[in-house]
Amino acid sequence: MSETGKFTEDILSSAREKAKAILREAETETQRASDEAKVTITREAEAVIRNARADADAVKRRQISEARHRVKLREQQEKEKIMEGVMDRVQERTSQFVANDPKYLPLLARLIENGVHELGDGTVLVHLTKLDLERNIPDLEQRISKSVGQVKVDWSRDPIQAVGGAVISSTDGKIRIVNTLDQRFEALEPKLLIEAGKALFGE
Amino acid sequence: MSGIETVKIIVDAEKQAAKMINDAMNEASAIRKKIDSIVQTQRREMLAEANSEAASIAARAEEEGRFEAEQLEKQSTEALKAIASRASARRDATVEKLVTMMLQVE
Repeated sequence: MSETGKFTEDILSSAREKAKAILREAETETQRASDEAKVTITREAEAVIRNARADADAVKRRQISEARHRVKLREQQEKEKIMEGVMDRVQERTSQFVANDPKYLPLLARLIENGVHELGDGTVLVHLTKLDLERNIPDLEQRISKSVGQVKVDWSRDPIQAVGGAVISSTDGKIRIVNTLDQRFEALEPKLLIEAGKALFGE
Repeated sequence: MSGIETVKIIVDAEKQAAKMINDAMNEASAIRKKIDSIVQTQRREMLAEANSEAASIAARAEEEGRFEAEQLEKQSTEALKAIASRASARRDATVEKLVTMMLQVE
């Protein structure tokens, strides 16, 4: 090969190498960019799935928690309904007791005596239900006579609105001891409900 | 070969070399441009796949949650039947107990 031929071949060979290097550099650069992008996109995709898992767990937990709440509420409502039925029945049985049971009179006497003792000396006024006013005063007077001692007991002719029991008041009406069965029911209701809960639903 | 011919050959070779490099640079530029589009496509595909997986995770979780909730409701219905039946059996005795408490006056 001539000198000129060698010289031109060197020029072209060098240009070829340079061209190859340019392409290699571009390819390396794009490969690196692609790899970097892949890492970023993978992270992004992982974050999408991670968030979806967290959201899904929350949705599932919420569904279960709502169901638990619904179930508990339904159970409570059912128990309350049963308890209400029992408490209604207690009131019915109390009314029956007042109407028919011979043990009611001694109980009424005790309620009156307790009220009289709470009020103290002097004269007291005893208020009864319509039913008791109609049937029990002579018996009651006899039963309480010993226990009340010096206290003078007057019987009000105005009936009280109650299932049974009595209201004992001072003559001026300023002090009143309410010993009705309704009042007892009201006062004992929380305790009765606890007992009913234990008796009905306890193991 | 005359001097002029020699110079001409060298100039042609220089031109050819410059073209080679210029072509390579153009090709490199095209490669760089293409990568953006490839990355965008790759991103779109991977995110679409991730979103699709996310949707099926959500659907599966919702289904599982619904199933467990239904199970709880079923168990509760059975438990309520047992409670009601036990309470019904104990009802009369409970009423008597409460009435006794009510009417117990010291």
